[in-house]
Amino acid sequence: MRGRRLGILIGWLVALALLGAVVATHLKVGTDLRSFMPAPTTPDQKLLMDQVGEGPGSRLLLVAIDGGDDATKAALSRGLASALRKDDGFTQVVNGDFDLGMLDSSLLPYRFLLSPTLDHGALDETYLADELQQRLDDLGSPAATLLKGLLPRDPTLETLKLAERWTPARSPEVREGVWFSSKGEALLLAQTRGAGFDPGAQEAAIGRLRAAFAALPGSGGSHLTISGPGYFTVLVNAQTRDQADWIGRISTIGFIVLMLVAYRSIGALLLGALPVATGALVGIVALTLSFPEVHGITLAFGFTLLGVAQEYPIRLLSHRRAGESAVAAVRGLWPLLLTAIASACIAYLAFYASGVGGLKQLAVFTIAGLLAAGFSTRYMLPYVLPEHARDVSGMPWLASFRDWLDALPRPRWLPLPIVAAVLAMLFFAPGPFWQNDLSALTPLPRDLLMRDAQLRGELGAPDVRYLLVVQAPDADGVLRASAALEPRLREQVAAKHLDGFELASIYLPDLATQRARQAKLPDRATLDASLGAALDGMPFRKDLFAPFEDDVETARHAALLTPAMFARSPLGQRIASMLAHRDGHWVGLSTLSGVHDASAVAAAVASAGVDARLLDLKDASESLVAAYRTRILHAVLAATALLFLTITLALRSVRRAWHVLAPMTLATFLVLAVERMLGIPISLFHLVALILAAGLGLHYALFFERDTGDPAEQRRTLHATVVCVIAALLVFGMLAWSSIPVLRAIGLTVALGVGFHFCLSILMAPHARKD
Amino acid sequence: MRVLDKPLVVSGELGWLGGDKLERRVEKPAKEVSTIADGEVTQEREGKKPRSFSLNRAPQLKVLLDSFVALLAGDPSRLSQSFDVTLGRDADRWALTLTPRDARVAKQIARIQVYGSGTVARCMRMDEADGDMSIDLLGELAGSMPAAPTREGLIAQCGGAM
Repeated sequence: MRGRRLGILIGWLVALALLGAVVATHLKVGTDLRSFMPAPTTPDQKLLMDQVGEGPGSRLLLVAIDGGDDATKAALSRGLASALRKDDGFTQVVNGDFDLGMLDSSLLPYRFLLSPTLDHGALDETYLADELQQRLDDLGSPAATLLKGLLPRDPTLETLKLAERWTPARSPEVREGVWFSSKGEALLLAQTRGAGFDPGAQEAAIGRLRAAFAALPGSGGSHLTISGPGYFTVLVNAQTRDQADWIGRISTIGFIVLMLVAYRSIGALLLGALPVATGALVGIVALTLSFPEVHGITLAFGFTLLGVAQEYPIRLLSHRRAGESAVAAVRGLWPLLLTAIASACIAYLAFYASGVGGLKQLAVFTIAGLLAAGFSTRYMLPYVLPEHARDVSGMPWLASFRDWLDALPRPRWLPLPIVAAVLAMLFFAPGPFWQNDLSALTPLPRDLLMRDAQLRGELGAPDVRYLLVVQAPDADGVLRASAALEPRLREQVAAKHLDGFELASIYLPDLATQRARQAKLPDRATLDASLGAALDGMPFRKDLFAPFEDDVETARHAALLTPAMFARSPLGQRIASMLAHRDGHWVGLSTLSGVHDASAVAAAVASAGVDARLLDLKDASESLVAAYRTRILHAVLAATALLFLTITLALRSVRRAWHVLAPMTLATFLVLAVERMLGIPISLFHLVALILAAGLGLHYALFFERDTGDPAEQRRTLHATVVCVIAALLVFGMLAWSSIPVLRAIGLTVALGVGFHFCLSILMAPHARKD
Repeated sequence: MRVLDKPLVVSGELGWLGGDKLERRVEKPAKEVSTIADGEVTQEREGKKPRSFSLNRAPQLKVLLDSFVALLAGDPSRLSQSFDVTLGRDADRWALTLTPRDARVAKQIARIQVYGSGTVARCMRMDEADGDMSIDLLGELAGSMPAAPTREGLIAQCGGAM
């Protein structure tokens, strides 16, 4: 017998190792948080989902350099900017260091097509004479040294007009040629290529940013502060992993101690872990087979949810009688165990029906895992357990605990006051019922958020809440519509409803406008004549402006600028982030900063007569969350109905089903009511946790309801349940102390749930009254 | 200046309004008032709306401001903060040579020389790094500005005071 057990054990371990090898070679873990968000349905929601990760605002990192004198910080800022501009992970880096490099030399002739000067006049003698006279005055003024270099190529200072036009309305103070905050830190904005909510991509980008900074000479004495959505994503991700890790370690140690105390056998502890390990590996293999990429959160949550499966070996270990083989014990338990497994699977089916990518994965993982753990408990574990085991029903404390429980009053009317209490608590609970704000789930320390707001304000960085959306069949149409919006938005800025705005048309006028400006450019002979006449009597050298004449001639024949042609220049990337091709049409996304009166701005945008509107991302995200919740609630209701049916069929009695389902339902609502009474708004994670707790509670109720008429067997049931309850309280009670809202939501809900489910299923168990 | 055929002559008044405020009133060739105050340079011309830009955009102007204010206030320590100062003397006459310490400024302004005699500064000459030069004839010398000045003549007139 002993040899056969060893053989089976080795076979099992080999199978696990093979599964492990499959997982190790095939598992691809993704990190994009968006796969845990609901599928968007309305156009606004679709835009939101794109914006959440890929929008220009969410890909922006705000960087402050502190320490050392201004010259050092400015040099570091310039060094960092030039290093990052070469880095493929960043699409745009700005630090206030305006250079004409923004328009590279080959694009310089295009200044006549980009600047609005020619809309109102022409490059004729009058205009040139006036401009040249001004330049002469400039040369005799304090600004002379600034302008002298530009003069031969650009006597009308078109590049400066463009620079003025492209400088954000509110930009930080410039010291030593770069942006500085009012606190004296050098400021820099870096836009990453990777999505803002992809912690993997953001972590890599931030790592390269820090490395580039550390590699700069003299960076040792300075300090780098990073802020922005991407940085927060990385921070939250690391923090979650960190807390989950230490909570996991402590609960593992607690769990080992619990198992040793409960069964006083190292063998039972090690062998009892095999079904859950099997379940976890089978679950991951199922995931890798059905999805191209497995989300990191699926695995983290999945292992937590799979913790339910630990109950199966615990039941088997607790229900062994003296002298009875493990195989005989499991046969007696199996019908009930199978009902428990089936009902847990049905509960998790609700996740699959939610239609959210991440939750579907979670469902596949837990259902495959639960089935594997259950069936290995039935068909493998009994064959490797030692022949003889200790009968837990002989433990003296257990007997006295059972007696104490039996002595408790069990009024039939118990459900009534509980229902009344639940209703009262739900009615009088403070605050909103649902948590619609996605950001409330981000565990960011307050000072970080304050710092972000301060940097954002100083940099005039765009508001992350509002977005101006312009739609047109083609890119040029978006530019035309943007141009029509420009005067409206300027009015809004003047009326102080808005601090500033960015529009693609400010950087790149539409083709018709460019063509009109191009048509106004004089040919070389005409220009030469007017320039000659304008120069008459002026002290400028006659040949000085040849580069200017060359540029005008080039601009006359140049192909009109399109976003694609613009793409290589630093400005082109800025445009690329504002123009997106989506579902056969083009969308222009413009950021706004300092929106003071959203409704006035929205009205102004709507009255411009183009296909444009102001999008409130907060509204869109709240509607998305609400829609998401409705779907999950529907799925949960369907799963509940299925569950009632399954239990009734399995127990073949409506009355018995009632005894199982009533305590479970009551306890679930009790948890909800208590959390509401504590002022906690219910989020999606609370709903997920309620389902998990209900699954556990269902098991307790099923086993307590079992009428064996044997006091020793009832003591064994109590033993198994107490071990399960303590194990669950250990794991989830620890999570409830976490500072991360998601973990806390799950921990508190499940810990409360396990407590209520245990108490109610004992107090409402039918046969105890018959004892 | 290299961009011009002949020297550009501007005449007017330079006034120190105390603190870091300078005012430059130009009478010829066109009326213009420039003020440097509170880190902003403002230029006003007849019939045009005023233009202004931050002093931080023009470090070389900041240096000029420093030198003027330090000279006018007679503050040698401030002068030596921004410049290497050397003083040459010849009987009653003197020449002060200021070389900017900041490398970025030195890229644009090679040196500033102030010539004077007794307690009166008579001429200020600024050599730009690209070879351009501006000469301010101060006080009584300003009256002796020739109608069609040449670069060489002006240098002689300014330095000739030494």
